[in-house]
Amino acid sequence: MVVLRAGMCPGLDEDLVRDLRAADVKTVEDLVSCNLEELAQRCSVSYKALFAVRRVLLAQHSAFPVSGADLYEELLSSTAILSTGNPSLDKLLDSGLYTGEITELSGGPGSGKSQVCFGVAVHVSQQLKQNVIYVDTTGGFTASRLLQMLQTETSDKEEQMAALQRIRVFRVFDVFSLLDCLFGLCSDGLQQASVGGGSVKAVIVDSVSAVVAPLLGGKHNEGMSLMSQVAGVLRTMAKDFNVAALVTNYVTRSSSGELQPGLGVSWSHIPRTRILLERLEEGTTAASSAAATADVSRSSLRSATLIKSSRQPCLIREEFDLQWWSRSKDQKTSGLKRKREEDSDS
Amino acid sequence: MSESGAQVLARTEARRCLTDIEPRLFPGNGGPDHGEVVEVCGPERTGKTELLYHLLCRCVLPKSAGGLEVDVMFVDTDYSLDMFRLVSIIDSRLTRALSPSAGSDEEVLRSCLSRLLVVHCSSSSQLLLTLHFLENSFSSRPGLALLLIDSISAFYWLDRCEGGASFSKQEEKLSKCSELLGRLLRDYRITVFATCHAIRRIHSGLSSSSFSSSDSDRPYLCRSWQHLVTHRLLCSRQASTAGGSKEQRMRQIFTVHCSSSTGTKAHRISSFHVTDGGVDFT
Repeated sequence: MVVLRAGMCPGLDEDLVRDLRAADVKTVEDLVSCNLEELAQRCSVSYKALFAVRRVLLAQHSAFPVSGADLYEELLSSTAILSTGNPSLDKLLDSGLYTGEITELSGGPGSGKSQVCFGVAVHVSQQLKQNVIYVDTTGGFTASRLLQMLQTETSDKEEQMAALQRIRVFRVFDVFSLLDCLFGLCSDGLQQASVGGGSVKAVIVDSVSAVVAPLLGGKHNEGMSLMSQVAGVLRTMAKDFNVAALVTNYVTRSSSGELQPGLGVSWSHIPRTRILLERLEEGTTAASSAAATADVSRSSLRSATLIKSSRQPCLIREEFDLQWWSRSKDQKTSGLKRKREEDSDS
Repeated sequence: MSESGAQVLARTEARRCLTDIEPRLFPGNGGPDHGEVVEVCGPERTGKTELLYHLLCRCVLPKSAGGLEVDVMFVDTDYSLDMFRLVSIIDSRLTRALSPSAGSDEEVLRSCLSRLLVVHCSSSSQLLLTLHFLENSFSSRPGLALLLIDSISAFYWLDRCEGGASFSKQEEKLSKCSELLGRLLRDYRITVFATCHAIRRIHSGLSSSSFSSSDSDRPYLCRSWQHLVTHRLLCSRQASTAGGSKEQRMRQIFTVHCSSSTGTKAHRISSFHVTDGGVDFT
């Protein structure tokens, strides 16, 4: 809704706004939808002038169609794929998080959602040297864990600090502060969050459900509306500023006992890619051999299932180790080698 | 309002009729005629957007590749259009249909993509203004025969809340859009496909009973929109067999139930699976 104000466009002066208001035309939508001939008579202004005003307002406030060919060219040059730093997750995501899209991680408590977010933040900031916005809604953000992950990447203190500098953390604990924070970031074009000229490539919200879920249920018009607003601002942010949005969500059980992401069906259309994280139980077939060899890291084994994607077949499943991000480089290569051997064995 | 000769021609000249857009979806020969609206509904991950890509490809592909060679307007309110996915579908259809000798692929692909116009909307008032604005495109491009809206229900909850306690106020925006769309359809005789998300969870335990399905698929958008709709495509996904082989999982089957209300009521059920090259009917 855009209220008509004097000076919005040439020809729309205070007298005309007053006359239009008297004729019950208060917004741009009203003006655009009404019968101009009748309106011109009622307000005793020239039809031509009114038509010109309508045309300018329409051009100002409507979205502009772009040719598919141009859009594709633009996307080819602007889209980046951010590796998560974890080969198994990258495989599920078709090589990483795509900018311009919302990717969702869902899982129960202790399924490793936040740890994956930390790992992604560290990887994007340290390896890809890009800025990251981390919106923490649960108070679960721990800088010391990030530093721990960074220490395995590099022993250079300054590099570690530079990487931490590139991760900008916002703490918000209700939906209004979240919206405030996201709209604020959008309105200044993510400027304040980018340190030292680099651009922001990833926005992480851990978790969306923590602030949205309490609003749902009952006569839930308002809660649903706030949820749509969060979704809307995340989508525009991802597209307009070309950043990858990563959000986390909790899980519920359906009546048949199947795990499914929370926040209901209206939210389910929002993320373009959804991944379900689960803790691996002991004795599950493929995991048992890995768990036996590395007894200590048994608890850090997780499975990730792709449950929605526009690029990959759904329901593909990968197993991975949360400790991955805190391993040194040679451990990673040897781990990768071992994994390859396991894959070729099976 | 004055019109130029070209505009009159664009408006009155017969646009390409899209009754044959996908014969495997609609009952009999009853594809959507000029000015008809098809609603594609269903919950998440039931192939709605994939189905739109299929129709889109069919329209923009050159005649030599089995396409209709008409222009398409895509109104993206969900920000769901995945250009890369679309291009890979077009690409695979082109390579399947054309021999490699027939011109450079890049050029054909570009000409396909230039038949597509994309517009993003982020609120229902913007959607209304944009539809008004698009009248220019409809009047200046006689080749534009299809309007896709993904999705028409995107702003449902925002409008519900913004409208306060008054029910008519809540539905005002979409009603206005529908009325405008109705007029545009009459004047320019384009065909519309619009997706509509489910807002209630389908209880999988009761999936077989007709009661639960009628409850969860009940149209909930405003009346003036329902009046426009002449065909409904209800998408669903066949329950995945847990523990099935990788092959089976890849070939997950989606079902579309089509009901048309033009003249005689007719139904048709078709199913497809999604491959790298897009929708594949079985």
